[in-house]
Amino acid sequence: MFPPNTKVLIIDDMRTMRMIVKKTLVGAGFTNITEADDGATAWPLLEQALASGSPFDLILSDWNMPQLSGLELLRRVRTHVRLKNTPFLMITAETEKTQIMEAAKLGVSSYIPKPFTQQIVVEKLEAVYKKITAAKSAA
Amino acid sequence: MGALKLDINFINPFIEGVLTTLDTQCSVKAKTGKLFLRGNGTEITPAIAAMIGLTSPVFQGSIGLSFPESTFLKVMGGMLGEEYKEINKDLEDGAGELLNIIFGCAKRVLNDKNYNIDKAIPTIVRGSGLSVTYVGKTAAMILPFTSSVGDFQLEIMIVAH
Repeated sequence: MFPPNTKVLIIDDMRTMRMIVKKTLVGAGFTNITEADDGATAWPLLEQALASGSPFDLILSDWNMPQLSGLELLRRVRTHVRLKNTPFLMITAETEKTQIMEAAKLGVSSYIPKPFTQQIVVEKLEAVYKKITAAKSAA
Repeated sequence: MGALKLDINFINPFIEGVLTTLDTQCSVKAKTGKLFLRGNGTEITPAIAAMIGLTSPVFQGSIGLSFPESTFLKVMGGMLGEEYKEINKDLEDGAGELLNIIFGCAKRVLNDKNYNIDKAIPTIVRGSGLSVTYVGKTAAMILPFTSSVGDFQLEIMIVAH
């Protein structure tokens, strides 16, 4: 599993949903959590953290947001030479097949469908962490 | 335009969405009551309602989720993990988010059956004993719920194109 000090960025334009996600992550033991209220706010935070030598280790993003959607942010992250391997999970009520395929094509790490429990979130994070660890071992 | 026959296949995904979302996200167990046409049954006195438009190639309408204040505060307390004494801006957003999740659950099921419901953004209506009136001849169907934190209701209004 991701260690408790994993640097996490939560992105959602609804403060209440950020509160729910943060509460869930804190409950799962995470201690280093930053919030952004949409993709446009998140992008400079990601770049600044990278430039400071302390990049985010994990991104949990909403899908539908003004200015820069979760999908567009995912596209930017996956095409950035140094951010492209950052685990990126979508937290969304949009789980129709066509949309899942769209995000999968862009390289989303996993989905957390709404509604969710802490257990669901932990299971999704564990699966992503295992995949990353296996890929690193194979490299 | 005419009233679209509201069959159980259409309503069930919304009922499932309400029950699952409240249980999973708010730790609130709820049960459905008997569906009735507005004016033909007893409704709650809502303090807050979240409404969302339903648009598809074959129909249009809306759904609304309405709560009395005490029920709503407990639902939000379960969702956000805090105790609330009054409805504030965060909780208004929370009502929208709650309906958004329910809508997402139902939309996924209905669109798999080719209803092709479009994306929509919830709006929030507040007021003591507010009454929601729909423009048009079709009255809303009211689906009452009882729960561990009090009663609330789902309003469904559908008109065929």
